[in-house]
Amino acid sequence: MPELVAQNRYAVVAVILFGIGLLNLMLQQNLVKKVIGLSIMDSAIFMLLASLGYIEGHGAPIVEEGAVDASLYINPIPSGLVLTGIVVSVSVTAFSLALVQRIYQRYGTVELPELLERAKKEED
Amino acid sequence: MSERGGWKRFADWVNGETEAGDPTTQYVMDRRPARIQEAHELHEARERLRLKKFLGLYPLAAGLLCVVLIFILLSTVIYIPPFGQPGNPTNNEVSQHYLEKTVEETGASNAVTGMILCYRGFDTLGESCVLFLAVSSVMILLQRDRNNTGERAQLRMKREDAAERGHEDNILQKSAKLLIPFVFLFAAYVLMNGESSPGGGFSGGAILSGGLILYSVAFGPERLSRLLTRSLYSGVRVVGLMAYALTYGVYIFAGANGLSIDMEWMMTVIELAVGLVVACAIYGFYAMFQRGKI
Repeated sequence: MPELVAQNRYAVVAVILFGIGLLNLMLQQNLVKKVIGLSIMDSAIFMLLASLGYIEGHGAPIVEEGAVDASLYINPIPSGLVLTGIVVSVSVTAFSLALVQRIYQRYGTVELPELLERAKKEED
Repeated sequence: MSERGGWKRFADWVNGETEAGDPTTQYVMDRRPARIQEAHELHEARERLRLKKFLGLYPLAAGLLCVVLIFILLSTVIYIPPFGQPGNPTNNEVSQHYLEKTVEETGASNAVTGMILCYRGFDTLGESCVLFLAVSSVMILLQRDRNNTGERAQLRMKREDAAERGHEDNILQKSAKLLIPFVFLFAAYVLMNGESSPGGGFSGGAILSGGLILYSVAFGPERLSRLLTRSLYSGVRVVGLMAYALTYGVYIFAGANGLSIDMEWMMTVIELAVGLVVACAIYGFYAMFQRGKI
């Protein structure tokens, strides 16, 4: 069991980070902290993806002229996928933070219970 | 005749009118007991109790769900192939093809750049669109101008701006003057050399926007907005995305039809376009969150 965990240490850490992020997202009452939890989940996914492409002892995938041998370099596909993921994560984070700022301008709070209370009072 | 009747019945049904010919519905509707109006306070108290019960139960349920999820994921993760071995199923013939043929087919010796800009160019085009749309929606949400800002808020903003202008940070300005040319030079290097060295459109664009943000912090946003006006900013964004779409369209058209066009300059154009889109996006986020205008 310990050696199984040690073999996949990056994946195990990624899963734990994912759990921390999800718990943050669900339990925090502050909207900004919820967004932070979402970014922690994103980072966990990137870590898992990047570790999947790594091959021990191989170099970065910048192919030298002449010596084209696939067994010298790591797998480039997960790196490209992480790039895509980072862009989407940045966009989502910025958009949700903008929404939180608008909520703050409208209701004067980012704490969820107070926010619900004020929204309900306004509705009545 | 029957067709017309059917159409009329259908229209009546769409409009929600009860059918005169069907007496049962009418009967049921008529016989339904009147809704009992609850006392307002009773209703309120019941709602509050329900919310309290929900709020008490919710953290427990969420925590339990998270623990169960982590447990399931961990028990799966232990059985995936060991980290860093060359024989793992992720390292298959696709990555081998990318590594061996990138120089020959795309002219880029950086396999990651070659992959995301040529083999998977549509994916990256979609990404650029995501960034573009994110900036646009952040602008829609946070834009501050005469239409949506009250007089008091505008006065406060003006006061804050004036206070900031009065306290110029000497250390920051001197070091920014030293640093900014090198930041821009490095951004240009990363942008232009992305296909043969580490880097590429995304990282180059991020460095470029870092330089812009440093300038804005050190010398005040007004000086930057005199150089990089609103219309110039929007123009650069749109031109970047359009240049990418057009160049990649030509690339796909020529490649699919076997025309021989030198592809190397196309990579550089696409990379520059991606860099401009990314730089505009990140600087746009900064400016929108800081002041609500470019």
